[in-house]
Amino acid sequence: MDLEQLRKTAAEVVSREDVKYLIGWKKGTYGYRVAPVFVEDAAGAAELFFSPLCTANLTTYLTMAEKLPLPRGQEADKRKVALMVKGCDSRAVVQLLVEKGIHRDQVVVIGCPCPGMVDPALLAEKYKETEKPVDLKWDGDQFLLICDGEELAIPRDEVLAEKCRLCRYPNPVISDILLGDPVEKWEVAEDSGVAELDTLDINERWSYWQEQFSKCIRCYSCRNVCPLCYCQDCILDRLNPTWVNRAVNFSENTAFNISRAFHLAGRCIECGECERVCPANIPLGKLNRKMAQEVREKYGFEPGIDPDAEPFQASFKPDDPEDFIL
Amino acid sequence: MSAMLLSKEKWPQFVGKFAGKNLWAPKLEGEAMRFSPVEEGETPLLEFSNTRIPPKSAAFPQTETMFRFQLGNQEIKLPELGEEMILMGIRPCDARAMSIVEKLFRWDYDDPYYLERRNLITLIGLACNEPGLNCFCSSVGGAPDSTEGLDLLMVDLGDSFLMEAVTPKGEAVLKEAEDLLEKAGSEALKSREAITAEAGSKIRRTVDHKGIPEGLPALWDDPLWARVSASCIGCGTCTYLCPTCHCFDIQDEVEGFEARRCRMWDSCMFEEYSLHTSGHNPRPTRRERTRNRINHKYNYYVDKFDVIACVGCGRCINLCPVNIDIVEILRQVKEAL
Amino acid sequence: MSDSFEPNIVAFLCNWCSYAGADLAGTSRVHYPANIQVIRVMCSGRVNPLYVMNALQQGADGVLVSGCHPGDCHYMEGNFFARRRLGMLKDLMEYVGVDPRRFHMSWVSASEGHKWKEVVEKTVEDAREAGPFEGFRRRRIDW
Repeated sequence: MDLEQLRKTAAEVVSREDVKYLIGWKKGTYGYRVAPVFVEDAAGAAELFFSPLCTANLTTYLTMAEKLPLPRGQEADKRKVALMVKGCDSRAVVQLLVEKGIHRDQVVVIGCPCPGMVDPALLAEKYKETEKPVDLKWDGDQFLLICDGEELAIPRDEVLAEKCRLCRYPNPVISDILLGDPVEKWEVAEDSGVAELDTLDINERWSYWQEQFSKCIRCYSCRNVCPLCYCQDCILDRLNPTWVNRAVNFSENTAFNISRAFHLAGRCIECGECERVCPANIPLGKLNRKMAQEVREKYGFEPGIDPDAEPFQASFKPDDPEDFIL
Repeated sequence: MSAMLLSKEKWPQFVGKFAGKNLWAPKLEGEAMRFSPVEEGETPLLEFSNTRIPPKSAAFPQTETMFRFQLGNQEIKLPELGEEMILMGIRPCDARAMSIVEKLFRWDYDDPYYLERRNLITLIGLACNEPGLNCFCSSVGGAPDSTEGLDLLMVDLGDSFLMEAVTPKGEAVLKEAEDLLEKAGSEALKSREAITAEAGSKIRRTVDHKGIPEGLPALWDDPLWARVSASCIGCGTCTYLCPTCHCFDIQDEVEGFEARRCRMWDSCMFEEYSLHTSGHNPRPTRRERTRNRINHKYNYYVDKFDVIACVGCGRCINLCPVNIDIVEILRQVKEAL
Repeated sequence: MSDSFEPNIVAFLCNWCSYAGADLAGTSRVHYPANIQVIRVMCSGRVNPLYVMNALQQGADGVLVSGCHPGDCHYMEGNFFARRRLGMLKDLMEYVGVDPRRFHMSWVSASEGHKWKEVVEKTVEDAREAGPFEGFRRRRIDW
């Protein structure tokens, strides 16, 4: 994608009267970091960019806008929000439309076809982060790491993010403006990230998950970063009745994680953010992807593709599988 | 206080003297270093930048039972916090953080849970030879070889560790291992000075906080807070991984006819943290909560205890999912002043 | 040992069909295992998967959800939603490593007292075989 075109388009969109601000990516404060930026005027658009490090899913900010009660006589600012999305992120926008979490006329979707993102942790393992500014670019089936004027070619498979390896939708499924040329989909990995665990027997799976859930510190990063976890009052935070105690121990951690995975069944669009942000490195992708796979295989449904679809858990088909029912 | 030398060949034996006796050291768990118990026969390798989760949970566990009680009678059963513990390999910033937090737990009320646990811990620190990418301890009153809060400081001299006792507890540790130690000569001491000076010079990030504690109140309504908090997702990562953060919640858990009252970590970045029973929330949005967090660390704590409640460990910068950078925020604060 | 282990089963029964069916079993003097604790809900579609999780956390060894047959729901569609949601829950729990013998769902109508007996017996037997639930049960935390 041409960065000049990106910035020009963004400046135009932000200058529109009906747009409040634009959410995009900008270079982070060190190393391989990338930070979300809220651009409110054309000058701010100069900070925007798009590189293999822009893994963050910005859709989560659509439902995070906090509305304070307005002083008497003041009208709410109902202008639109412009949002930059990759393929996976655009599915979140569609799913929010399906669930009526947002209105179509509240958002201007700027689609960025995505050739694949880098996992910064994998990258940092091989090429340690320093205080020198770095740039990362796509180059066919490899990435170019540019630092100090030197270019280093890295084969894609070495540092590609797990979620991208399993990507089925690199091109935005919804957009008002499309930046860059559509990307060719690659061979979808068969295992969907969960095949390994599926082959284990049930006790081995339990040991695996027991180890993972013991690491949880209940920071709620996974829930907060998820574009589809946007309940004002999360039921897993509720007191009176207290479904999941606030105490951090294995029982409550497991209940929290399983419940969240259940609430995302048929809604998770597999953007991989939960896994990326977990400070305890719990492989949440393996949990949420399994549910997404089950919904695909057993019910033939894929969330976040058709804005007119019915939400999965709020609908049914007369021939839904019932082989498990006595 | 004495300074002794331990050759690295004798390191496993040194550890062996304390292993199995509630010794905790950083161990690799999955992909991150975390403080874990050291069993007999294990030898921690002290090659790490810093643990992901700070050892504050030694004195301030993530969840602890305050007391147990039963329905129907007025008795409460208090816990026994009697076990001694040795934390080995703690970095000077984390140890300094523990003494900063202690001021709060001694403020208007001597918190028995925190203080009793804290007094049972012996802290064996490890000076930093290589600062992390986002460390800025020297800007906020720390140093790669600071001894504040520590009982014993170890400096890695390459082929040996220099062990400097700081408190009588540290002396006792040295005494227990005296058969493995040699007196540290002037060579070793010179080498230590050189190493820690070099470490200090390698610290890449700096914070100029002159004028910030006094100037923050005037910035209460400044637009910078909305700017820096716009991308915050309101998770508790920065607070849970911060060695000086100490907010907690108290809940009762009832099971049948018995119950326990427990204290657990809470985060000022959660919306419900400041939610009143009436429904009013004095910090309704992330803008107010971010402003509160910075003010707490760099203003309120300074007002009450004369010390900045930030030790420059850099964990919040490393792990914030959306790259909210406290060094960057302070730079903007300084600019606005 | 396993001979004397009596599993605790929590059952969520829909008011119109399954609860009535269980009642019929009672009035017809059909004997069924006493391990079952019944919680009456108005419709199986009302059963929140959190109930299942919470029941297991609080000491149940097995959970049963029972509702009207498809097409017969008193509220037209509630049991269809239940079928979908609880089907997903069962898959999720099995994936995480919880024994699938601990969670069952059934269609029991108001006239099926005998079927109720069979459903309970199956649920209890399965839970008995699976043993006491340890998994993510709330442990007594002394200190």
